[in-house]
Amino acid sequence: MRDVMTVMWKETQEFFGNRRFLWVFALAVLAMGVLPVLTLAHHSGPLASVTSSLGALFRGLYVLFAAVIVVGNTAPDLVLHERVGHTLDYLLTTRLPDYAIFGAKVLISFAIGYLAAMLALGIQLLATGLIGGAGWHWLILALPLGRVVIFGISAGLSLYVAVVGTFVALRVGEQRAAYLVSILSVGVLLIPFLVGWIHLSLTLPWVSHAAMIFGAVAVFLGLVGLRIFRRDMLVLYLQE
Amino acid sequence: MDGQEAIVFQGLSRRFGTRTAVSDLQFSVAHGSVFGFLGPNGAGKTTTVRMMVGMLRPSQGSIRVLGRDPMSEGEWVRSRLGVMLDNVGLYDRLSAAQNLYFAARIARLGAAERQDRVEAALNRVDLWSRRHDRVSGFSKGMRQKLGLARALIAEPQLLILDEPTAGLDPANIVMVRELLISLAQESGRSIFLCTHLLAEAQRMCDRVAILQEGRLLTIGDPNQLGSHGVPTVRLTLSGGDGMAVGTLALPQGAQLHALGGNEWRATVAADADIEPIVAALVAAKIGVRAVIPEQISLEEEYLRLVGGKDNA
Ligand SMILES: Nc1ncnc2c1ncn2[C@@H]1O[C@H](COP(=O)(O)OP(=O)(O)OP(=O)(O)O)[C@@H](O)[C@H]1O
Ligand SMILES: [Mg+2]
Repeated sequence: MRDVMTVMWKETQEFFGNRRFLWVFALAVLAMGVLPVLTLAHHSGPLASVTSSLGALFRGLYVLFAAVIVVGNTAPDLVLHERVGHTLDYLLTTRLPDYAIFGAKVLISFAIGYLAAMLALGIQLLATGLIGGAGWHWLILALPLGRVVIFGISAGLSLYVAVVGTFVALRVGEQRAAYLVSILSVGVLLIPFLVGWIHLSLTLPWVSHAAMIFGAVAVFLGLVGLRIFRRDMLVLYLQE
Repeated sequence: MDGQEAIVFQGLSRRFGTRTAVSDLQFSVAHGSVFGFLGPNGAGKTTTVRMMVGMLRPSQGSIRVLGRDPMSEGEWVRSRLGVMLDNVGLYDRLSAAQNLYFAARIARLGAAERQDRVEAALNRVDLWSRRHDRVSGFSKGMRQKLGLARALIAEPQLLILDEPTAGLDPANIVMVRELLISLAQESGRSIFLCTHLLAEAQRMCDRVAILQEGRLLTIGDPNQLGSHGVPTVRLTLSGGDGMAVGTLALPQGAQLHALGGNEWRATVAADADIEPIVAALVAAKIGVRAVIPEQISLEEEYLRLVGGKDNA
């Protein structure tokens, strides 16, 4: 665990020097915080945005978007950046075990995505409060369903995208290709989820299961990734 | 540990597809020695280094580093190595000090010790005053020096350096040479050094190996590789022509070769044979202006072995 913390320490230090990341993070959080509130208010007047439960869930989706955008950018970037600068080579010469190197990247991307989701939520609540007045703007958190979407699905989804993004970037050398594959793989998992959302209607058990399935798939893929990506093979990928 | 050997190569080979990058290496590197690994571009030096640190699996044969297999006991081996690859691999977004702190954390040093080691390492390579600067603004030579400092942080038993002097100015090359020599003298530390600087290798290495197309061409003391252990002197003569010199009576085993102009090279069986040669020259009324003990340079021998083939 100490090795994982070491790599995570390094990643957080690097974030402060990474302008692109800071921009993506700020824009995603702001956009996903403000946009849904404005569109709802525009369509149905200020009160609708704070009172209807459907509106609350609609805003919940934007919280998920914030997480996916941020993780989808961060996870591949953490790996590709190390490949371009040959620092991945350096990491492989150190005593750090493979799981610490990749595990730390997955955990950091996950944490950053979850943080983005929570910040987007905070901004949404703030914006709703400003537009619709105090009182009902906590609605999304008042619904159990809303809480599962906001806290559960965003966690499961962030972890899933973090795992896919990290391991895809290890195999795909090019930045755009890595983003594309990550986003596509998110799409693949989202399709049954959205189909279920429409057909089964939003019941609490269904949404809870979806959150857990995201998490379980993420953990499974993470373990498979660790088995596939041994350090003595990475050098070959590095030189492609 | 395997007694006196820091590194043992046993029939080590590595292929990439049909290309053989490293072929049947069979030699060892003694503890506490500075070992030079030489060879033209593409000879297989970096590939060998990668196998030594467990980043690449050998196709055939095996390596023992500090007595263990870097593939199956990678963490044990790597925790005792300081490695600097041909691409130094520094974190551009971090400062010089942060790069070293990261290495110190990887080595699991305590907070106080991290502080001390980072300071000492930065001072050793004259980068203390730049410690807060981001590495993205560093010159190539500064990066090399920082990479070297990072390899030293954990005070490793074995330093593996792939062209540490690439991009350094003459003063820094001397600085690195002196640093490496002093490091080698500290408590039995071994250094495995890939380099293209033959004069540097000759100065600081106890032994060198020359590699070409993955094969070992020769291995030995860099000061004796060329002369094959035979002492030689360079003579500058005056008066006397080739004929006169050619008919001199020389001690057993001694030979004189014309190098052109007034220059001659004498090879002798023992150092004591030089005096009789000079005496014979003087007796034949041939002036002797200079007698200089000569070492066939590593460079001459390298070029002879590697040949014009690679324009090395
Ligand atoms: N991952 C790889 N895939 C295919 N071929 C490779 C790979 N790595 C190295 N090679 C080949 O192996 C040979 C040896 O390369 P290596 O990098 O070990 O040479 P080197 O001695 O370090 O050269 P230099 O002095 O230029 O650094 C070269 O022909 C190179 O093309
Ligand atoms: Mg090389």
